[in-house]
Amino acid sequence: MEETKVVTGAWELSTFKFNIEGRGLQLMLKHMKDRKLMGIKCHQCGTVYLPGPFYCRKCHIRIDEPAEVSDHGQVMTFTIGYADVRGNPLDEPRIAPIVKLDGCDSWIMGVMQGCAPEDVHVGMRVKVHWAEETTGSLQDMQYFVPE
Amino acid sequence: MRNVGIIGIGYTPVFVSKRKDVSIVEMISEAVDAGLKNTGLAPEDIDAYVFGNMATFEGVNMPHLWATEHMHARGKPIMRFATGGTIGMAAFHGAYYHVASGMADIAMAVTYEKHSEGDAQVGLMGIITPELMAMLSAGIDVTGQSGMGAIGGGSAGGISFQASSYLHRSGAGIEHIDAIAAMERRNAAKNPYAHLKDPEATAEKIAQTPMVSWPIRFGHICPTTDGATVCILASEEKAAKIADKVAWVLGVANCASDATTANLIDSQITDPAEQLPAIMASKKACERAGIEDPKKEIDYVEIYNGFAHQTLMYLEKVGMCEVGEAHKLLEAGELEMNGRCPVNASGGVVSTNSIGTSALNRVTECALQIMGQAGEHQVEKEVHKAMAHGWGGLMQYCTITILGDKPKKL
Repeated sequence: MEETKVVTGAWELSTFKFNIEGRGLQLMLKHMKDRKLMGIKCHQCGTVYLPGPFYCRKCHIRIDEPAEVSDHGQVMTFTIGYADVRGNPLDEPRIAPIVKLDGCDSWIMGVMQGCAPEDVHVGMRVKVHWAEETTGSLQDMQYFVPE
Repeated sequence: MRNVGIIGIGYTPVFVSKRKDVSIVEMISEAVDAGLKNTGLAPEDIDAYVFGNMATFEGVNMPHLWATEHMHARGKPIMRFATGGTIGMAAFHGAYYHVASGMADIAMAVTYEKHSEGDAQVGLMGIITPELMAMLSAGIDVTGQSGMGAIGGGSAGGISFQASSYLHRSGAGIEHIDAIAAMERRNAAKNPYAHLKDPEATAEKIAQTPMVSWPIRFGHICPTTDGATVCILASEEKAAKIADKVAWVLGVANCASDATTANLIDSQITDPAEQLPAIMASKKACERAGIEDPKKEIDYVEIYNGFAHQTLMYLEKVGMCEVGEAHKLLEAGELEMNGRCPVNASGGVVSTNSIGTSALNRVTECALQIMGQAGEHQVEKEVHKAMAHGWGGLMQYCTITILGDKPKKL
């Protein structure tokens, strides 16, 4: 007996407009075209976020001061993926670090190349590998490589 | 606030991958009827119901209303919780508030998950849909091959980042995750209501299971389980009339922080292994229970461990040992059923995970240990006080319940 049935059709999902999209995320994307990472800094406690929210999560006040963040940073934690989203084995293990960029207090996720899985470690210095042609998309920051 | 005690527990006869013989509500009624039978109560004795299961996991959005008659709740107050992994304990806390406040004398927490009838991955996707849709318009690659915010490289879930960070900061190794997973699968073999049981489990056997996302192996991961659990709570006055054995609620607390690895658009500021909510909730619950040092005063712990490293990590967070000490207690055999700090004698969530029930089972298992009714998985030492921990949400929401063999002095 079949255990599941597939009902084909389309599920219309909203594009979910966020206030921060027009601020922090757009600010970041705009500058990524010039290979710069622009976050937002809290004028009260100095915390820098990338992408920047419109309020400080520590002080609970509205913030809008742009602050440039380095494209170098260090690995805070990482994982090595051996399977894709369907559970099928990957041809090559995929290194996925969470990185704290210099001058930034928030962490970002990405993928890493140019390094063997057994050599990745917490605290490792890395830098952003930019796309050859940047367009103002999250894809501009293609992956991290060892510094 | 009045004193509240657990007077009865009801489980489905089994916790397995697929219950094809019953529907969702029929399965729920098995646990409800078991709870009533165990306490000798009749349906009319229950004043209020608090229901718990995760939205969208089975594609059923109003299961508490579907189940109303199956849990004999027609014409009674019902409330439903859907807080992720912590659901079962959130529902328990809801039932506790009903009785402690005097709004009800006897309340029943009813929880279930029937994973075989849905796709939990689709349900989990629903947690981050708005962020993901917004990030898609900014160029995120959902296959995780390149680009910023690559969702941890596809299937490499957020939990692997937590395990990796925990290992680095505690000094434990992947062999300790293998060993704790093996211990819990052996414990599960003694629990009739556990799902994955292996009396012969060893760290070496777990180490042979495939690596899914370093450092998490297949053998470190919970199953998807079909099952239901109920817990009946009563006021001190009612409990004295009805129950022979009572596990008293001494303290409850919950706490959230920012969404660690799932917060793609708002930026992430928290180490997934920091787990401040567990630290805060444990402190608050201990304070309410009049406990100064859980290490010395708590005899037994049930940790919510969807992934095996979490048993060790959370023992440190809730204050049962120092940071970096849990894996040493494991090595010394102290976490075993005959050890000084027994944990998850039930087999934990890593052995049985019907999500709606999972955090409630941590409480009911602590209650069974206190009542001396855990059967084959009763721990060797006497359990006077026990702590149950729940975890879930976007990796950053924790609940704590502390039980004791005597009511609190009011």
